[in-house]
Amino acid sequence: MRKITIDAVTRIEGHAKVSIQLDDNGKVTSTQLHVTQIRGFEKFTEGRPYYEMPSITARICGICPISHLLAASKACDAIMSVRIPETAALLREVLHCGQVVQSHALSFFHLSAPDLLLGMDSDPASRNVLGLLEKFPDIARDGIALRKFGQQVIEGLAKERIHPSWVVPGGVNTPLEPAVRDKILSGLPDARATVRRTLKFFKGMLDQFKEEIEHFGNAPSMYAGLVDAAGKLQLYDGGIRFKDADGKIVADHVTTRDYRNFIGEAALPNSYLKAPYFKPVGFPDGVYRVGPLARLNVARSCGTSMADAEFTEFHQRLGKIVPGSFHFHYARLIEALYGLERMEALLNDPAVLGKQIRAHAGVNCLEGVGMIEAPRGILIHHYKVNEEGAITWANLIVATGHNNLAINRSIQQVAQHFVDGNHLQEGMLNRVSAVVRAYDPCFSCSTHASGQIAMHIQLFGPQGSLLDELKSA
Amino acid sequence: MGKVLIIGYGNPLRSDDGLGWHASRMIAQELAGHNAEVITCHQLTPELAEALSQSSHAVFIDADAEGEPGEIHWREVRPQAEASSALTHTCSPAGLLASAAQLYGRCPQAVAVTVTAQSFEFGDSLSSVVSAALPKVVERVLQFACTDGLRTES
Repeated sequence: MRKITIDAVTRIEGHAKVSIQLDDNGKVTSTQLHVTQIRGFEKFTEGRPYYEMPSITARICGICPISHLLAASKACDAIMSVRIPETAALLREVLHCGQVVQSHALSFFHLSAPDLLLGMDSDPASRNVLGLLEKFPDIARDGIALRKFGQQVIEGLAKERIHPSWVVPGGVNTPLEPAVRDKILSGLPDARATVRRTLKFFKGMLDQFKEEIEHFGNAPSMYAGLVDAAGKLQLYDGGIRFKDADGKIVADHVTTRDYRNFIGEAALPNSYLKAPYFKPVGFPDGVYRVGPLARLNVARSCGTSMADAEFTEFHQRLGKIVPGSFHFHYARLIEALYGLERMEALLNDPAVLGKQIRAHAGVNCLEGVGMIEAPRGILIHHYKVNEEGAITWANLIVATGHNNLAINRSIQQVAQHFVDGNHLQEGMLNRVSAVVRAYDPCFSCSTHASGQIAMHIQLFGPQGSLLDELKSA
Repeated sequence: MGKVLIIGYGNPLRSDDGLGWHASRMIAQELAGHNAEVITCHQLTPELAEALSQSSHAVFIDADAEGEPGEIHWREVRPQAEASSALTHTCSPAGLLASAAQLYGRCPQAVAVTVTAQSFEFGDSLSSVVSAALPKVVERVLQFACTDGLRTES
């Protein structure tokens, strides 16, 4: 029996490794994703004032700090028991759209395009952004321009691209200047054209990936995403809709008040990444996926014209429920288009230039939950405070955590189909990494199992036999 | 007139790693009204390639781990493609210049100025030796910008 380790999985955010167990015939018997870092934010924020949580938790990630900033601020809004001013809500959502656009651009163009454009089996030495620059400079330029636009939106509103302090409990801390609004609006046509060009290009490539589409994590699972009251896609607000593998709605408009009735969290023995599951079904069968693919599977429509045209084509091509995780890429591009259209609608609302931008209050509730669709999926911040406002307990449920069980299953499916231990080739293992990348995981964000994980150390002999092990409960 | 791009980068919460932030903010005040752009950021990212391609001269300002604390290093940077696959967190000045040339057809004449750090521990202020080097860095960058950059292209 042999064991293959992919350590580290590249072109992802954070660190992870995958182990693949082979039998004597070189066939894959089992796989495991290991998330090997620990962050500990839930523990070391205990005792901090609640209003510091947005700026502390934004440090969890350099790629999606805005998502943590917004989820944390929404949790603080709940602790203060305030409804933030209309202008503040519009501005927060514009900021969020900028974040989604830049993050999706990073995932598609920078992290996954080398696999998609240069080929899963291409020379690994040049299967990277550098290779992309050489062979597809137009695509590389588009990727850079789109990410830059998203970052400029963030910088225009919040004055800093990374870790801005503009979003605060109760709203935002400065109004939007008309010149900034106009500058963002003037950049939208080019950004939309970039996404539409990329969508056209990508759709034309799908036939090249029939085998990957067939085997990249297309096992049945449930799906979860935020929708508005009419069932349309929501990224900033709304309630959770869960659908089963057949597309039947099994829970709808789940709010911050009752999410714990529907989402349970399991700790896995060999990972710092928790494994959320759909509570009514139980662990581990209650596996569900979140993120772009799941959102397009649960929503009735996007609610903007161009994205809806793509949404309709997406489901006409691939079915009412699209199970293949390869299509996270396709869904991600549609959402980027939605983000740009939504941004335009928000910026054209006269209220976006309003001056009433922040509600002020103290502690009016000892518990608060903030929920948002981060680019990678649902993000939940849940805090408890004492009467002085100090954090006494915090729990973060992060998108990559929701996808943990599904990623593990996808890895196993890809490995069992593509990996042949007797004729091992790099491209086989690259496909295992590529299916992880399809989810656009952020392991830096996701490792929040402090105090729950049972450490399990295994010692394998040269032949793969287990020689010793150490467990701590 | 050629445009000068100043990029100060690092982590301002890691003591001397914030050198690029301190320097670029001082330089921005001095260059207000000039055909210069000053960018302050945590790290070098691919998007900077476009801004570089639109500049005739560029200066990268960062802290350094090599040498004696407080030592100022000034070196010319030439485009050199990076072998790294991770163009998300770690771009080098040379790699960015190569990307600018490859993607946009031109890249600026560039220098990197670094100061050897004494401390990368948590903290938002510079150590005394790096603080002492800061005015010299600013002066030299301004000299480069105003003589080699802004004036020669006018």
